[in-house]
Order: sequence, then structure tokens, then C-alpha cells
Amino acid sequence: MSTLGVAVRELLRRACTVYGDDPQAVALLQDHLARFDEPLRVAFAGKVKAGKSTLLNALVGEEIAPTDAGECTRVVTWYQDAPAPRVRLFSRAGAVRPLTLARKQGALQLDLGMPAADVDRLVVDWPSGYLRGTTLIDTPGIASLTADTAARAGAFLTPSDAPSPADAVVYLMRHLHGSDVRFLESFRDTDVARATPVTTIAVLSRADEIGVGRLDALSSAGRIARRYRADPTLRGLCQTVVPVAGLLAQSGRTMRQDEFTALVALAGLPQADLDRLLLSADRFSTRAVDGAPEPAVRAGLVDRFGLFGVRLGTELIRRGTSDPSALSRELVRHSGLDELRTVLATQFAERRELLKSRSALLALDRVLAAPRPGSAPLVAERERILSGAHEFTELRMLSALRAGTVVFPPDALADAERLLGGEGGGAAVRLDLDPDSPAAELRAAALAAVVRWQRRAESPLASRATADAARVVVRSAEGLVARLS
Amino acid sequence: MASPATTELVDLALTATTAYGRPDLGARLEAAKARLADPGVRVLVVGEFKQGKSKLVNALVNASVCPVDDDIATAVPTEVRFGEAPSAVLVGEHERTPIAVEQLGEHVVEGLENPLRAEVTLPRKLLAGGLVLVDTPGVGGLGSAHGAATMAALPLADAVLLVSDAAQEYTAPELDFLRAAMELCPTVGAVVTKTDLYPHWRRIADLDREHLRRAGVEAELFPVSSDLRLAGAAQNDAELLAESGFAPLVGFLLRKVVARAEDLDRRSTSQDVRAVAEQLAAGFTAELAALRDPAGAEALVAELTSAKERADELRQRSARWQITLNDGVADLISDIEYDLRDRLRAVTREAEQLLDDAADPNTIWDQFAEWLHQQVSQATSANYVWTAQRARWLAEQVADHFSEAADAAVPDITIDGSRLAGSVDPLEKPEGERFGVGQRLFIGMRGGYGGVLMIGLATTFVGMALLNPVSLAAGLLFGGKTVRDEYRRVRDRRRAEAKTAVRRHIDEVVFQVGKDSRDTLRRAQRQLRDHFTVLAEELSRSLATSVAAAQSAVATESSQRTKRIADLEAELGRVQSLAKKAEAL
Repeated sequence: MSTLGVAVRELLRRACTVYGDDPQAVALLQDHLARFDEPLRVAFAGKVKAGKSTLLNALVGEEIAPTDAGECTRVVTWYQDAPAPRVRLFSRAGAVRPLTLARKQGALQLDLGMPAADVDRLVVDWPSGYLRGTTLIDTPGIASLTADTAARAGAFLTPSDAPSPADAVVYLMRHLHGSDVRFLESFRDTDVARATPVTTIAVLSRADEIGVGRLDALSSAGRIARRYRADPTLRGLCQTVVPVAGLLAQSGRTMRQDEFTALVALAGLPQADLDRLLLSADRFSTRAVDGAPEPAVRAGLVDRFGLFGVRLGTELIRRGTSDPSALSRELVRHSGLDELRTVLATQFAERRELLKSRSALLALDRVLAAPRPGSAPLVAERERILSGAHEFTELRMLSALRAGTVVFPPDALADAERLLGGEGGGAAVRLDLDPDSPAAELRAAALAAVVRWQRRAESPLASRATADAARVVVRSAEGLVARLS
Repeated sequence: MASPATTELVDLALTATTAYGRPDLGARLEAAKARLADPGVRVLVVGEFKQGKSKLVNALVNASVCPVDDDIATAVPTEVRFGEAPSAVLVGEHERTPIAVEQLGEHVVEGLENPLRAEVTLPRKLLAGGLVLVDTPGVGGLGSAHGAATMAALPLADAVLLVSDAAQEYTAPELDFLRAAMELCPTVGAVVTKTDLYPHWRRIADLDREHLRRAGVEAELFPVSSDLRLAGAAQNDAELLAESGFAPLVGFLLRKVVARAEDLDRRSTSQDVRAVAEQLAAGFTAELAALRDPAGAEALVAELTSAKERADELRQRSARWQITLNDGVADLISDIEYDLRDRLRAVTREAEQLLDDAADPNTIWDQFAEWLHQQVSQATSANYVWTAQRARWLAEQVADHFSEAADAAVPDITIDGSRLAGSVDPLEKPEGERFGVGQRLFIGMRGGYGGVLMIGLATTFVGMALLNPVSLAAGLLFGGKTVRDEYRRVRDRRRAEAKTAVRRHIDEVVFQVGKDSRDTLRRAQRQLRDHFTVLAEELSRSLATSVAAAQSAVATESSQRTKRIADLEAELGRVQSLAKKAEAL
């Protein structure tokens, strides 16, 4: 546990004693204390049909979130790890009701038994390795036609009066719409701890559809994601933009033997026959062709993989991928899911304590808004943690760099962001070196960084803001040196 | 294209007006002829960003006209119409530059210096009926300023196709657009594209139909696949063409849209010819009646004279319809102006609130400016839609005055909204005062100096030096306070300047758009006045002929009476056959 986490926990406990007479405040503080030991909470947000549930399934590796061609997720749903599967419904009135679990073709089916408007949230307990490290939260789409559904998503992610229940947000967008940018902006606020694009990752979802399912669709999506990453508005709103083909990732991770067999059979067809079949989804799932699997099987395939998935799968088999696990791995690799997982790990999982502390301090802010005798030292301590903890300073400086309030030349900017942990907290990542580099080399690089940035900090031409920023970078680099010694 | 029968009929009617000495009736027929000669049936292809609008147009004409790309969107409206040979022209503000059709893609996408619009001609059977397909820009989506410009172009269009892909059901902005389109445009079609890519397109189409039904939008839905149609055309594969789902869409365009436009043309032509025939016949009928019944001739002449007096009244400037029209337009202008001001005032208020809430207007300026432009263009386009509706209503009111005297059709009023967007300069960024380190230092020193002097002087009375710890501390305090005050002043001033910029912009918009809509309404007024004045004159002239004919009939010798009756009956028969032909059209 980091020193920051210890300090914040201690502060919360002290606040509990001071505010002992206010049950609501105590409940909130206790809740956040408990949250420290829970996995990180990552919410999936985005417009309707952006593929939030599909991506969630892909990350977990099981089809636990229901998906459909029409608008599907209508209530906020939490997926958390537990020894046994169980679904509970929390109604707005405060009642808790268990729901029966039903599975249809491997996918989870849920019947609410009451109007979606009366449901506060669903909590799905599911034994899963991935959920052990992260609790995932699925939200209804914004710009939904049922205005109520959209409002529920907005209320969950950006409540006007309370800190958000999610520690970090993965924002899914198809090609960028105006309402996407507006939604991202509502995460940004003026308060220091609340407002950081650092807790948001944008995902260019349904990446296979951007190039209408052509084999090179994902390189198109990659190009678009790169353009977004360079866009100053988006840079100030989110950490990075990653393209992911959610359906491909989900089905790649959950591919069954019979599906593999069908793909192999398809790959064995003459190229011309296969091309004609793959002209449209309708043709693929209805046309009779000698040597190809039954139309019903093919309909199932296109349903699960999409035309792009089938095209890519058969192409990979033709090029020599011969066993199911290799194919599954290749499909997932092409889908961009690996990249997303890396980003999630470096941006969120490694900063778990920091993000948790941030959420907890936000909650504490609310409690401290009503002063008590004895609350003044708490305020001072909160200030001390906020300004003293270098992690927070790094986070703040990263936001400032991304928002463009501090200006550096482009290469220096990239260097600063890396050293501040913008691409991950590991020493090698911060120093832009190979993870397997020898410790001596890392240490030399860290020392070089200290010198480099000290020079920048002391340059007489530097403005106050850039000098301050450079000093923060120096401090980060010094931390690296200390860690590596 | 107008059928030859229609054009022939108009020519026949024209000969008749010359033969019977009524060239004044010819003007109306000439106008009808001109209308028939230019059959342009405009179909706007609209939709959100990246839904396949350009590809739909390409697939409809089976040519790669509009550029299709995974990322970059079309930025300029492209009109595709019939022409003997393929050609393309870029239309700028003052010039027209012909280019090769293949080069079009280099000029109409975003990120370039764009012309106002592009015009393409292609030798295609689909377009031969006068169909003009307009590919609209996808940049920014329906809610943006581009979207508002599209909205303003709607009343000039004969049909609208809303394009949405089969990836998902309709979103809120799309349905809002459809609802507004229904108000402004006679025919609306909903196209669901990319059915080849999505196995669930039938579900999506059903969901969309359901959304349309619930929103009360009567639009046919066409699921299509542009890729299949292009592939089918390339391989000459009838089966692929059938699967593409384009047949019903093409049918809709030809039967509903083009046929409807033709039908409209035919009906108004038929009405024009019948009105002319009726007026030509009036004189003959009166004379005939007087000849057949000499006793009643006096009464007939009296009746006709009073009818003529009534028609003459209609011709006068003080006629009731003139008053209705003038008052109506005056009311309309003030109402529309009030509506515009009211809408924009709400925008101003919201904008000022936003500026007040922001810590520093400078940091949010870019987004703020975009938001403001969007709000303003929405307000102006809503105002404009209302203008169009009210103007049409006024035309009907005026036509009512004629209902007893003649069968007065309401004329088409051209309300051109294309100039609404883009005629106002964008919002200016206020320069603002800089508050850098230098200023801060200077101001702090000034405040500190005052503090030191003030307190230092006071402490000299108790025998301390001018510069002592107390006075120095006071100096620091005063300096800090002055800097803070100064910062607040600068911020308030920035806010005030930003607000002034907003007000100035809104004022400019009210000025420009107000002028535009006043001009539009004045043009509409002139159009209506001319239309109804001509109608009144024709009416009066016809009645004058009738009176003269009846009077001459009274004077006719009884010996010639039988012959004259036969002559008249023959003439009347000819005119009536003309009316019958027009009716059969």
C-alpha cells in the first residue's frame, strides 16, 4: 500500500470520529473506506449502440452483459467478482431484490420485472478473473431516444451534487459526434482533484465498421484514432484514444470449437465462391454453397463475428493459422483489445491507489463542507495531502500539459508527459526504454532526465509556469532515481 | 419532364387567346410554359456524419461522383443532374470553374478551401426526368450550422431522403430532423444504408419504422446496400441488383417524387388553361344568352355591369384584398422580427449566464463561440420555418377575397432561405487586457509603495523610521491586495468584453437576418400583389367583353340572329373543347 493510501485512509477514519453525529456523512466515509479495498471501478459510457456491453464482455471474456441489435442496456449495471453468480436489483425506492439468472446460448438474460425508470441499479456478481481486479459498470447510452434512459446515464456519470461513483471512465465513441465532446466535457470541472482528463480513456469503438468491414478497416480506424489523439480539444478531455473492434474481440475471446470448424470449412472454399458469399450478410447466412457449412451455422457465425470477423478469420486460416487458440489470439490481437488492456492497466490499474484516494478526497470535500468543531485540522490535512502527495502533483501537471495551459516544444512535451507517468507508472515506460533494460541503464537514463529537466527549470528564459512544470518533472525523475538505486 | 400533350395544350390555348383578341390572358400561359420547360426536381440527401450519403448518390447514378472516404467527410453540397455528357463545375461566389468529374473528390471534402457548391451532369436515365440529387455536407452533423443551412434549403426541395445506417436505430437528432422536414417538404423518404454489413438490418428497419410511427412521421423506409448495387452494376448481375434493395427507392424517386412534381405541373397547367377558357367563353355565353332571350337582355346587361363594377373594385388600390395583403405583410414582418428577437434574446441570456459561470472567458472561448453559432443558426432557421408557414397562410387569406369572383388559385410563393446562413460575420474574440508577470509586479509594487508610505508615515510619529517592519508588512499586504483586486478587475473586464462581443454579434444577426427576412416577405408581397392584380384585370376585361357582347346582341337585327347564334355556338364549342382537354390532362 502506498503512503498516499495510508494517509487518506487515516484521514477518513479521523473524519468518521469528528462527524460521528451525522449518520449520512459516516455512511459516505465508511463507504469510501470500504471502497479502498475493493477493486477499481471503471464505468463504460458512450452514445447509444456504441458497443459498451460488447466491449465489457470482451474484457471479461464471457458474454455476461446482454447485447442486442436494438438499444439494449437501459439501467446502470455493475459487474463485480464473487464466488457464486447472483443478480440483485436495487430499486429507486431502496428495496433490494434478487433476480433469477437465465442463460440463452451462453448470453445472460435478465428480466427486470419493473419499469426501468424505477430501477436504481443492477448488481451482477460473477466469478471471473478479470473482475477480481476491476469492477466494471455498464451504463445506458446517451442521445438515446428514450430521453429517460439517456438521463439515467448522465445522472450516474456526472451527478451534479456528488462525486462520481466510478473511479475511472472508458468513453466509447463511434466516429466523433458533437454530443460526444459535450459529454466528455462534463467530466471536466474546475476543482483540482475532481477534474482530470487523466481518469478518462476514449475508445473508438466498432472500429471494424469504420471501413465498412473491409480487411484494412482497422488501419483506417487506427489512422482516425491517431488524428483524434492529436486533436487539442480531445487531448484536454481524455488520456488517449484507442480503436477497438468490440464484436471481434468479444467473439474472438469466446470462440467455440464448432465455430472454428465452420471457419476452417469456409476458408477451404475456392476464393471466388467465398468472395461471392461474403458480399453481404444476407447472402452469407442464406445462400446454399457446396462444401460450405449449413446456412444456419453461417448465420450464427455472422451474428457473432460480423462480416469483418468472418473475412478476417478465413483470411488468417488461409495464411496458415491452424489451431483454435492461435486463431482466437490472432482475432483478439487484430481487434485492438490487447492495446486497450495495456492502456487500462497502465492508466488505471497501476494508479489504483491514486484514483481511489482521489475519489475518497472528493467525498471528504462534501462532508467537510459542513464545518464542525475539530474539522479544521481535517481540512488542513486534506490540503496537505492534496498539495504534498507527488502523485497528485503529477496528475495535476499532466492535466495542465494536456489542456495546453503549460506550453513546451512538442518533443519536450512528450518527454515530460512520459516522465510524469502519462503512459504508465513503470520506470522503463517513464524513461521510454525497453522493460528488460538493465537497472544500470535505467538509472543512467533517469539521471540524464534529472539533469535535462533541471536545466530547463533553471533556464532564465523559462516562464514561471514552465519552470514550475519542469520542477515537477525533475521531482518525478528524482523519484525514479531513488527507486532504481 | 413535361409530357408533350401538356405543352401542346398550352400552345393551343395561346393561339386561342391571340385569335380572340385577348393577349392579356397570354401572359399566364407563357409563365406556365416556362415552368414546364424547367422541370428540376430537387431531392436532398441528408443525414448525420458518415452514414453513407455520398455513396448512396454514387450508387443511385452508378458512377463514382461524390468522394467516399472512411474518415474525411463531404463539405460542399454537390448537385447531380441530367446532361448529355458527364461534366462538373465548381460554383464559387463569383465564378464557375469547370473541372473533370474525376477531380471532384479533390475539391469538395473538408479541410480544403471549398467552393460554394459543385454541379455535376451525367447522362443517366434516372435523371432524365429532371431529377436533381443533392449530396449535402456531413460535416458537423444535423445539429450544427451546416445542419441549419440544410434546413433552410428544405422548402426549395421537392423531396428529402434521410440517410441513416443499419448499425443502429434512429437517434434523437435524426428524428427531430425528420419531424422538421415533414413540415417543410412535401415528400420525405427514410433510407437505411449498409444493409450488406449488418445481419440485423431487418430488426433495425422495424425499429425505425416503429420510431417513425410513434413520432407521427409519414415517411416510407428503404433499406438499401449501395455496395451491392455498385457491385451488381459492375458485374451486370441482376440478382445482386435485386438484393441491393434499390428498386423500391428508385421507384419511389420516379413514381412519387418525379411523378408528383409532374403531376403538380400538370394540374396547375390544367387549371391555367381552364381559367383562360372560362374567361374566353364568358363573352360568348353572355351574347348567346342575350340573343336567345331578348326580353331578359336588359337584366343580363345590368347584372354583368354590376359584376364588372365589382371586378373593377378588385382592381383598385383600395380593394379589400389589397388591404388584407398590406396589413398582413406588415403584421407578419413585425411578428417575425419579434419572434427572431425573442429567440435570440433567450440565446443571449443563456450565453451571458455561461460567461458568468466560467472562471475565465478566454479559456472557453473556442467552444463557446461554436456553441453560440449553433444556437444562433438554430434560432434563425426555426424563425425562418415559421416565416414560410405564415406567408403561405397569408396567401390563402388573400385568395379568399377572390373566391366569389373567380376560381383563384394560391400562387407558389418562393421563399428562398439559402441566404440566411453565412451572411453574418462570425463572433469576434475580444482582445482583452493581458495580465502577465510584468503587470502583476508593477501593480504589486504600486500597492506596496502606497502601503509603506501610509503606515510608515503614521509610525514616524511614534519615532520609528519610515521603513520599519510594520510599514514593510503593511506594504506587502497592500501590494497583495492590489494585485488581487486588479486580477478581479481584469477578469470582470474580460467577461464584460465577452458579453459585449456576444451582444454585438447577436445585434448583427438580428440586423442581417431581419433585413433578409423583411426583403423575403416584401418579395413575397410583390409576388402576391402582381398575381392578384393580373387576376383582377383579367376578370374585369372578360366581364367588359361580356357586357359589350350582350349589348351588341340586343342591337342585332332579328334576321341575322339565327346565324349569329349558330356562329356563337360553334365558337363556344371550340373553347369548351379546350377546357375539356385541360380537364382530361
